[in-house]
Amino acid sequence: MSEATPPTFEQALAQLEQIVQKLERGDQPLEESLRLYEEGVRLSRLCHRKLEEAEGKIEMLLKDGRGEPVRDAQGRPLTQPLPEPTDEDEGR
Amino acid sequence: MSRKPQPPAREAEKDQREQLSLLVPLKPAAPLAPRAPEPALAPPLPAPAPPPAPRIYSVTELLRAARATLESRFVDVRVEGEISGLKRSGPGHIYFCLKDEEGQLDCVLFARESSRLKFELKEGMAVRCRGRLTLYEARGKFQMTLVDIEPTGAGALALAFEQLKQRLGAAGLFDAGRKRPQPFLPRRLGVVTSPQGAVVRDIIRIAHRRFPLPIVVSPTPVQGDGAALAIASALRRIEAMADVDVVIVARGGGSLEDLWAFNEEPVARAIFACRVPVISAVGHETDFTIADFVADLRAATPSAAAERVVQAKDALLARVTGLERRSSAALRLQLARVRARVEATRAHRVFAAERGRLQVAAQHVDDLVHRAGAGLLRRTERGRDHARRLRERLAGFGLDRQLAVRRERVETRSARLSALAREQAERRRAALGRLTASLDGLSPLAVLSRGYAVVFEGDGARVLRDAAETAPGARLRIRLARGGLRATVESREDE
Repeated sequence: MSEATPPTFEQALAQLEQIVQKLERGDQPLEESLRLYEEGVRLSRLCHRKLEEAEGKIEMLLKDGRGEPVRDAQGRPLTQPLPEPTDEDEGR
Repeated sequence: MSRKPQPPAREAEKDQREQLSLLVPLKPAAPLAPRAPEPALAPPLPAPAPPPAPRIYSVTELLRAARATLESRFVDVRVEGEISGLKRSGPGHIYFCLKDEEGQLDCVLFARESSRLKFELKEGMAVRCRGRLTLYEARGKFQMTLVDIEPTGAGALALAFEQLKQRLGAAGLFDAGRKRPQPFLPRRLGVVTSPQGAVVRDIIRIAHRRFPLPIVVSPTPVQGDGAALAIASALRRIEAMADVDVVIVARGGGSLEDLWAFNEEPVARAIFACRVPVISAVGHETDFTIADFVADLRAATPSAAAERVVQAKDALLARVTGLERRSSAALRLQLARVRARVEATRAHRVFAAERGRLQVAAQHVDDLVHRAGAGLLRRTERGRDHARRLRERLAGFGLDRQLAVRRERVETRSARLSALAREQAERRRAALGRLTASLDGLSPLAVLSRGYAVVFEGDGARVLRDAAETAPGARLRIRLARGGLRATVESREDE
């Protein structure tokens, strides 16, 4: 696993799943099992972190006159908060 | 799209048809417009009287007069027939002949009107046309200039739906093989819908109830003129957000006309072109739109879409902790097996005398067990927070504690076992000593060695125990500790 690109939650979970299956087969030497176990602890920690990190930010994209996204200097699209609901929205 | 017909139209049409039959042959002498005076628009009509000199028209004059009459009398008429000889011109004008069993009528639909048609005209199609009659003076041809066409039978929208569905289906936009799987856990959810209203709120609320993932809304009108193009453009814009990996295109319930934008080609094409999977959620459960067919997944309602796209956080957490539990259980099991093997071998060592080799093996296991604990703890020291969490988890597994307890138990047990074995062996040796001693005591040879002798009768094996069993002159055999004797009885001394 390279440090540069941390795995997604899904990848980490899949790797953890494989490790548990290997451990449960129990047909590798004890030293290998211990190494796998350590790797498993690392992956489950990663999974926990990914789940805890999630924050439900809500944004609304801005657009220019030609219907293109408005971007900042780095080319990232600009957003604004979603407008609060009004009474007349309730119908639709 | 269709305007309400004006109430008196029927009668007017009947009236007009009658007149039409008079007009079509364009008999110059026929009385035109018998009851309607047309002073403002019509050029001078031939006066009924006085008879003498009939008016002579130029062709142009006559055509112009006829045209004026036609156009003023047949301003807004509806006519039904079948399309024949359909032709399109470069700028988008459409020409055809409207026919029934007996007659035909040239029709033209100019580009401005033809671009508004929702469905596609086809040869032989039965239609109801609306427009006005006119006369094309340059060729002296009579024709109808249309403002709208509707298919008869199925409604225009239903026909348009079927036509687009067929065309896009043939172009491969609905192919099952193209449907992309949803991401396991979206990094960011894109929502294309109206920024106001209950739909966007419902999606956010339900998604966040399951998992607090980031959401970006690309706002767009979802009905009315230009809505289809606006939705398509909002879909393209949302791709600018690099980490959006699934998009919901949604609209609440409404009439067929309200939902119409989602049956238009620009929306279908934009969904098809989207680089991430698109989930459509338009209207109610029973509403199917073209967008639904192109989308990677069709959800019955916007709320259902939010549920389909986001997995519950609780379920994911449960999966991770379940795997943690299984991995430590598996490791504990393996350690216990190794331990048991070592223990068994150690128990035998009293007899097998392979002490050195076993101790090395036992120490190896101890090392590994130690490393399992210490190694993990060392890693966690990289961050205080992680260390705390991991220690908690380790404490939760109880792995290190269990290993220590086990190690101790094995040590005491093996010590106790060897002591026990030694003790047993000692006891056995002692018992054997006692046993041989008592066996020795029982041996007749030992008795003889103490000076006793055994007397047998004659040459036989019978041992004499009573003097009365023999008589003087009888022969005897005597067994001593070493060697024997033959003897004869001289006299008897009975007791």
